Amino acid sequence: METVIFWILSAFAVAAALAVVFFKRAVNGVISLLALMLALAGLYVLMGAPLVAFFQVIVYVGAVLVLFAFVIMLLNLKESVRPLIFLADVKAATPAALFAVGIVVLSWLALQDGVFSKAAALPPASGLRQIAVDLFTRHLLVFELASVILLVAAVAAIVISRKEGGRP
Amino acid sequence: MTLYHFVGLGMALFAIGAAGFFIRNNAVVLLLCIEIMLNAVNLIFASFARFLYGTEGQIFIFIIMTIAAAEAAVGLGIIIALYRSHKTLDMSLIKDLKG
Repeated sequence: METVIFWILSAFAVAAALAVVFFKRAVNGVISLLALMLALAGLYVLMGAPLVAFFQVIVYVGAVLVLFAFVIMLLNLKESVRPLIFLADVKAATPAALFAVGIVVLSWLALQDGVFSKAAALPPASGLRQIAVDLFTRHLLVFELASVILLVAAVAAIVISRKEGGRP
Repeated sequence: MTLYHFVGLGMALFAIGAAGFFIRNNAVVLLLCIEIMLNAVNLIFASFARFLYGTEGQIFIFIIMTIAAAEAAVGLGIIIALYRSHKTLDMSLIKDLKG
């Protein structure tokens, strides 16, 4: 049963990722990316990491993709729909395809090491309590730094996107 | 399901995102491709956390999500500024840095 769900969700995720790349309009890409995020959230639940799935839905779908949709609506991209080197452009597509295949081949070779085959069976998931304890004790500095990064990014986004010389 | 299934899926998604980054021209779609790659890495981290008994993988995911949100905010700010100054988002037309 789990295997069937895994294959359905992963086929969905790959199809959605391909749709992001091949849809001409950016709006369709955002919607496809939303489908990809939801499929990944399902995979996280399947993997026994429901906390990550919650964050996936809240942070990515609820915040990041809404931001993308806002910007696309703001910019009225209709007139710049043409911009897209498509597969007809062999000069651009060949290195891209080679790069993608190279990534897959190289990481597959790296996986043949045998270290990971010992971990092939599905162990019990680590609980929420353990994650929380680790996050707020051993990784507290990283946690605080992440909040600083968010603050800096929020200020930077406002500063970058405001009008030149205008009031914020 | 084994670790290989999840890592293979993550690799496939990363490859799709990386290839899309090279063949597309629209700045917004480039950011979307970056998001695909970040999500692929998240998936691989989650599967390692699951199969190699650890919480670090999930904590890394939270940090990566934070960075991704910050990156999206700043990137979209840059896109707005770019559109304002160039009136286009076609990355093949914006070549001020090429000299």
